[in-house]
Amino acid sequence: MQYTNLPWIFLLCCMLTGTVFSQNQRHISGVVVDSYGVPLNGATVILKELSSGKVTNGQGEFSFFGNFSGPLTIEASFIGFGTHTQSIQNLNTENFPLKIILKESSFELDAVTLSAKSRIQEIEALAFNVEVVNAEELHNTTLDIGHALNRVSGIRIREDGGVGSRMNISMNGFRGNQVKIFVDGIPMENFGSSFQLNNIPINLAKRIEVYKGVVPVGLGADALGGAVNIVTNSFDKNHLDLSYSYGSFNTHRSNLNAGYVSESGFTVQLNTYQNYSDNNYKVKVDVADLNTGQYFPNQNVERFNDVYHNETVIGNIGVVNKSYADRLLFGITLGQNYNEIQTGARQVSVYGDRHSRGNIIMPSFKYQKKNLIEGLDVTLNANYNLGKEEVVDTVHRRYNWFGEFIEYEGPGGELSNRHTEFENNNGIVTASVDYKIDERHSLSVSNVYNMFDRETSNLLNANDDLYAQPQQTNKNIFGAGYQFEEENWSITGFAKNYNQVNIFDQSYNPTGNYGDVAYRRNKDHFNSFGYGFAGTYFFTDDFQVKASFEKSYRLPEPNELYGDGGILFEGNSNLKPESSYNYNLGAGYWIDLYESHLVNIGGNIFYRDSKDFIRPVLNQNQVYQVMDNLSDVTNLGFEAEARYSFKNLFSAGANLTYQNLRNNTQFEGAQTQESVVYRDRIPNIPYLYGNADMAFNFKSPLNTSHPVSIGYNLLYVHSFFLYWPSLGSSKLEVPEQLSHDLNLTYTFGKEQNFQFTLECRNLTDENLYDNFSLQKPGRNFSGKIRYTFK
Amino acid sequence: MKKFDFYFLAMLAFSSLTGCTDDDVDNPGTGGGEEATSRYIIAATPVASEGVADYLLTASDLTEGSISTTGNGVEQDGTYRYYVTNNNKFFSLLYGQGNPGAVTTYQLDDKGNLVMLSNFQSETVQAFAPVNDDVLMMKISRSADSPVANWYRLDTETSQIVDQGQINTAELAPEGEQAFFSWMTQVGDKVYAPFFTVKGCCSDTFGTAYPDQAWIAVYSYPELELETIIEDDRTSFIGRYFTNGLSVDEAGDAYAFSSGVAATNGVISSTKPSAVTRINSGERKFDETYLFDLEAASGGAYVTNHIYAGNGNFVVTMAEEKTSAYATGNKIAVINVYDETFEWVTGMPSEENILSITTNNYVSEDGTVHIGVTTEESSYVYNINVASATASQGLEVQGGNITAISKLDPIE
Repeated sequence: MQYTNLPWIFLLCCMLTGTVFSQNQRHISGVVVDSYGVPLNGATVILKELSSGKVTNGQGEFSFFGNFSGPLTIEASFIGFGTHTQSIQNLNTENFPLKIILKESSFELDAVTLSAKSRIQEIEALAFNVEVVNAEELHNTTLDIGHALNRVSGIRIREDGGVGSRMNISMNGFRGNQVKIFVDGIPMENFGSSFQLNNIPINLAKRIEVYKGVVPVGLGADALGGAVNIVTNSFDKNHLDLSYSYGSFNTHRSNLNAGYVSESGFTVQLNTYQNYSDNNYKVKVDVADLNTGQYFPNQNVERFNDVYHNETVIGNIGVVNKSYADRLLFGITLGQNYNEIQTGARQVSVYGDRHSRGNIIMPSFKYQKKNLIEGLDVTLNANYNLGKEEVVDTVHRRYNWFGEFIEYEGPGGELSNRHTEFENNNGIVTASVDYKIDERHSLSVSNVYNMFDRETSNLLNANDDLYAQPQQTNKNIFGAGYQFEEENWSITGFAKNYNQVNIFDQSYNPTGNYGDVAYRRNKDHFNSFGYGFAGTYFFTDDFQVKASFEKSYRLPEPNELYGDGGILFEGNSNLKPESSYNYNLGAGYWIDLYESHLVNIGGNIFYRDSKDFIRPVLNQNQVYQVMDNLSDVTNLGFEAEARYSFKNLFSAGANLTYQNLRNNTQFEGAQTQESVVYRDRIPNIPYLYGNADMAFNFKSPLNTSHPVSIGYNLLYVHSFFLYWPSLGSSKLEVPEQLSHDLNLTYTFGKEQNFQFTLECRNLTDENLYDNFSLQKPGRNFSGKIRYTFK
Repeated sequence: MKKFDFYFLAMLAFSSLTGCTDDDVDNPGTGGGEEATSRYIIAATPVASEGVADYLLTASDLTEGSISTTGNGVEQDGTYRYYVTNNNKFFSLLYGQGNPGAVTTYQLDDKGNLVMLSNFQSETVQAFAPVNDDVLMMKISRSADSPVANWYRLDTETSQIVDQGQINTAELAPEGEQAFFSWMTQVGDKVYAPFFTVKGCCSDTFGTAYPDQAWIAVYSYPELELETIIEDDRTSFIGRYFTNGLSVDEAGDAYAFSSGVAATNGVISSTKPSAVTRINSGERKFDETYLFDLEAASGGAYVTNHIYAGNGNFVVTMAEEKTSAYATGNKIAVINVYDETFEWVTGMPSEENILSITTNNYVSEDGTVHIGVTTEESSYVYNINVASATASQGLEVQGGNITAISKLDPIE
C-alpha cells in the first residue's frame, strides 16, 4: 500500500459515502453475556454461512450489516466458556438484539490461543499508534499510575524524588504538557496537586491507553506529542477492593475501591486512597559548611524535609445500564495534600521548612449512552475544581544537607518570603458524539471547553494589589473526524479547531508621575486549525501496518502563562502556542508458534518537526523554571518491542526507544552566522532507553490452589549530557542507569480473594538520577496486602 | 514479513540514525602548551536557545586567531555565571537569587591549563570585588520586609569564607526606602560602596522617590563598620545594578560614574545628566569643583559601563536613549577625566551590527583595553588603543557571546 495515496483515498471515500450503499442492508445485532448476565467483552461471534466474524465490545455487543437472507447460524465463543450455536430462521420475525448466554466451561482450561481480540487488542488494532497497559495486571503492585507508565515502550517518567514528587511525562521526545493526560476521556488539566499521576494508585485504573503521536478526535484536546487516557474501573456489579501497603522510608499507602449496583441499576461508587511517606532516603551530596562555605564532598545524608501525604475520596452516585443511559453519574472528588520541599531545581539548593499544600473539591457529572438511537453514541462530562493551593516559605533560615541551619533576623524565607494562596476556579466540559452510519462509515465530533480564573491572595500582605489582578484563560477545542472501515483496513481523517483567549493585566504608569500604578487589560486571542490522517492495514490476521500524520497545536496552559504560585514555575504571559507535524509508521506481527508459544513483535518509526517548542528554562535568577518558546526541533526515532509468552506460565518482553532530537534552529536571534549548536542533540533529555520484564506464574508447592507469581523488571537509560553535546572538552553528564525491580505475589483465600505482594525496587542500590541530576531513592522494599470481592 | 527481517530493519534504522551523530567529543584539554606562559581566560556563552553556562576558553593572544566552544573549553554547571579574578585565581560565581550556589575557583597549572582548584558554597551575591587578598561579596535584599545586606569575606588563599556580617540598608537611606549597593571599590584601605535607594515594595521594587541623588557608604576593612555616607545632589546614583561605578586612579582619586537612570514605576525619573564626579584622595566628600557632563560631551549619550586604562583614561560604553535602568550601550568612547575630553572610538563594528558588548573586560599592562563584542556575524575581542581612540578586531570566539575576559599567570 502506498501511504502517499492515503489522503486521496480519504477524499475519494468522502465523495462516495452518499451513493455507494444499497438499500437492502440488513442488520443483525445482539449481546453476549455470561450466566450471571454480565456482558462478555471480546467474545467471538461468527455468522457461519457467511464465514464472517465479529468481536463483542465492552458492553458485550456485536452487530452485522449486510445483504443477508435467512436462515443463518450464529456461533458465539469465548475463552473459558462453552460455544453457543443459535439459528435464525427468519430475519423479519426474529427479535433483535439477540441475547446469547455463554456457560462457563467446567473443564480445566488448557492454554488457549487468543483468537478473539480482547478490548485491549481491539484498541491496539486501531489506526492510531496506541499501546494499552492492562492496569489490572499491576493491581498487586504498589505502583502509582506514573510508575506504571514508566514501563511502557517509548515513555519515560521523569521525577524529582520519592513519593509524591513532581512527575513529568516524556514520550518520543515530547514532554510535560505536550503529552495530554486524560481520565476517562476528560483532560486532567488543573486538577490541582491533590489528584495527579504521582498519587493516583494503579488500582483506580482498569487500563491505560497510550496514544503516541496522533490522538483520536474523541480525546478532544490540544495534545501535541500524544495522549495518555486512564480508564477507570466502571463496575456494573457489586465489588470491593481493599489494599494496604507499607514500605521503606515509612511509606504507607492504602486504597479502598467499592461499588454497589442494585437490580434497578442504581449505583454508588466510592474510591478512596491515601499515600504517606517520609521520603527520608539517602542521597550522595556535597555538604557545605554554613559558615565557611567549604564543601564536604560525597556525603551520604538523609533527606530531612520531604514528607509527603495525600488523602483523596472520589464518590459517585447515579444509575447504570438504563435505557436512557449506560452511565449517568454525579460525583465529587475531595482531597488534600501536603508536600515538603527538600530541594530547588538543583540538589545544591536545600530547604528545611518550605512546603506547599493543596486541596481539591471537584463536583463532576458523567453521562454515557451507546446507541442512543441506532449507531449513535453520546458522552458528556463536566467538572469544576473549587480547590486551593498554598505555598509557604516564611522561615528565615539557610539550611545545609546535614540539616544544620543559620537563622536570620527579621521576616524572610529560605527562597523568598512568601505565603500565598490561590484558587484556580477551573472547569472543563467535554462532549463527544460518535455516529456509526453503517458497517463501514462512522463520524465523530467532539468539543472540549476549559475555563480558568485564578484568584490569588498574598497572606503576608493583604493590600498587595499585584495579586488582585485577573488571570484568566478560556480554551475551546473542537474536532470532527470520519472513519472508514473495511475487513482488513481502515482509515480515518480529522480536523481540529484550537481557540484560546487569555485575559490578564499588566501594570504601567499612566501619567509618568511618581507613584502612579495602573493596570492595563490584555486580551490575547489565538485561533487556528489542525488536521490529520491515520490508516491501518492487516496484511494477514497476524501482521498489521499503521501510518499516521498530523498537524497539531499545543496551547499554553494556565500554569505556564501565570505560574504555579511560587513553587517551581514562574509565569510567562507571552508564551505562544507550539505547533508540530507528526509522522508515524508502525508495524506489528503476532506469531503463534507450536504448542502455545506466542511471540509478538512491533515497531514504530516516528518523525516530528516542531516549531516554537515550549520548553522549560531557568528564569533570569535561576530560581524558578519558566516556559519559553525555544528552538525548533526535529526528532526522528524508533521504538521496538518484543514479547514472548508460554501458556499462562511464563512471559517476557523488552522494549527500546531511540530518539534523535535535534536542534533545528539554524540562526539564533539576529545572528547571521549559523548557530554552533545547529543540528546538535537537544541536551538533558534521555535519548536511548528501554525496559525488560519477565514473569513466572506457578502454583504454590504447599497448596496447589494458591497461585504464585514472580516478576522482574529492568529499566535502562543511556547516559546523556546535561548541556549541548558538541560544546566544551570536559562534559557534565548523567551516567548510564540500570535499575532492577523484583516482585512476588501470593494469592490465597477460599476464592483467591487475598493477595500478598512483596516488592523490591532498585535491587542493586544504584544511584539513580533524573531532572538535572536530582537523585532518586536507592534500594527499597514494600509489602502489600489486597482483598478483592466481586 | 518475517521476524528476522524486522530485526534487520530495526538494526539498520538504528545504525543509520546513530551513524550521523557526533556526540562523542573527545578533544584534549583546554588548550595549554608545554611552556608556562600567562594566558587569557575567556568566558563564552553559546548562542543557543537552551540556557547554558559559559564555557571557559583560554588563549595566549587576543589580537588575532580564532577559538570556538565546539569541542573546546571547560564546561560549567548552571546557566548564569559571573567572574572575578584576584590573587591570580579566577572565581566563577553562580547567580541564583535566594539560593546559595557553588563558586568554583580556577587557576592555571604549570602547563598553562585551566584547572579547577576547589568548589565552595556561597550565597548569591549582587556585588563582589577584590579587596586586598580577599573577595568581598554582598547579598542585598530588595524587600522592604527585610532591609538587610549580608556581606561575606572570602579568603582567596583558602577559598573559604572567613568572616560575614549584616548591614541594615534602611538606616542608610531616607525614610521609606532602603539602600541597594551598586558595587564596591577598594579606595585606599577603605571600602567605598555606592548605592541607590529603592522602595522594595508596592509593585515598584526597584523604584525610588529620590532619583536625583548620589550616595557612597564608606566602610572600614576588614570590619565593615560604617564610617560615613558621602552624598551629592549634582548627579543621580553612582554605578548601576550589578555594575561598578567607581574607579581609583594612580593618584588615589576616585572617579564616580553616574548613568542618570533612576526609575520610578518603571519610568526613568532622573533629571540629572550622566556625568563623572570625583572624590579626591583621602577626602570624605565629593569634589564640588569637578563634574564632567558626559551627556554634554557626547551629544546626548549616557554611560552604561566603564573601565580604567591608566593616566586618567577610561574606555566607556555609551547608550543613546534612557529607556531602562538596565540597558547597556553599543557605542564605545575614550574619555580622559583629567582633561575632560571625549572621543568616540573608531574601528568598531557599526552600532546596528552590534548585538552586545561584554561588561567584564580586561586591561593589559600597556593600557590596551580588550572588549568583547558580539555582532550579527560572530563574537570578537576588540583591542582598543586609548591614545588614538581606535579599535581593531582581534581574536574571534566562534559560537559564543563573550561574557568575561581575564588573565592568569601559571603557578610555579
